[in-house]
Amino acid sequence: MNQIGKSAMFSMVMVISLLLTGCNLGNTSEDSRKSMIQSVNPDPTAIEDQKGKNYKLAEKVKKDVRSVPAIYDVAVLKGEEEVLVAYKVKHMQRMHMKRIEKEIKQKLEKNYPKENFIVSSDYKIFIEVLELKEKIRDDNNFSKEKAEERLQKIIKFQQELT
Amino acid sequence: MASKNKSPEQKQYEKLEQKHELKRPVLQNCVKAFFVGGTICLIGQAITYFYIYFFHFTEQTAGNPTVATMIFIAMLLTGFGVYDRIGQFAGAGSAVPITGFGNSVISAAIEHRTEGFVLGVGGNMFKLAGSVILFGVFSAFVVALIKTLLQIWGVI
Repeated sequence: MNQIGKSAMFSMVMVISLLLTGCNLGNTSEDSRKSMIQSVNPDPTAIEDQKGKNYKLAEKVKKDVRSVPAIYDVAVLKGEEEVLVAYKVKHMQRMHMKRIEKEIKQKLEKNYPKENFIVSSDYKIFIEVLELKEKIRDDNNFSKEKAEERLQKIIKFQQELT
Repeated sequence: MASKNKSPEQKQYEKLEQKHELKRPVLQNCVKAFFVGGTICLIGQAITYFYIYFFHFTEQTAGNPTVATMIFIAMLLTGFGVYDRIGQFAGAGSAVPITGFGNSVISAAIEHRTEGFVLGVGGNMFKLAGSVILFGVFSAFVVALIKTLLQIWGVI
């Protein structure tokens, strides 16, 4: 194959992969797209009730986590049994991720001894929480059972290591 | 090996050589390596985010497909002869990231293609990359051993 043929084939592969990516972009929410480059400060969410006790707890948890200086964006999702806390660490503090995670977990367990917390600094978990939050807010057909099921999936996902 | 006691002719030649030898532009090479290596890492980071965003990978798990993709791209570029030019320009900047490993495997495979698949490609593919794998695995073992010992002693 000559030089032009090769580069044409290479650029074709690139174009196809770009097109495939472009098609996928439509399924994501605006907030999750924005969250890649900026702080979105999502509202806390509770699966059980939108304005009741669980929601207030999620709001309080968010405030507590937000007070940690090394963090700049927090998403809290209160499920039936677990509270999922996803956060983004400031770039210069990323060397101390494990310490920060430990600190947050200890703080939350001390303040709310009855709750079961799942804490993650993983960006994927953050996006998933945002997507689920949007779905609960906007989609009326999305039942609590389905939301809980998806939350369990995210939790399982967070525990994966390889 | 050069002997310590040099003859007067050798010393004279050394002086002559030093006079004519071109100075290596160390700083310039470093800057080139820094920027090209940085760009390769930037592309790697973008691919990581691609896998996190569009597929079911977390920050923890996205590393493996990213490495595979980077090696695949390096393989294509090596085959098209583009990576050699990048290597000539950037030096260590293109050799140190994982793409340099991919390049060393593929270029050895291309070079020994004429010697047949088993003794040529198969036997020579990991000529350079083999030592990378060996010392990588060995150093990982040593680090893991130290970490385990420190954990047992309660230091960390």
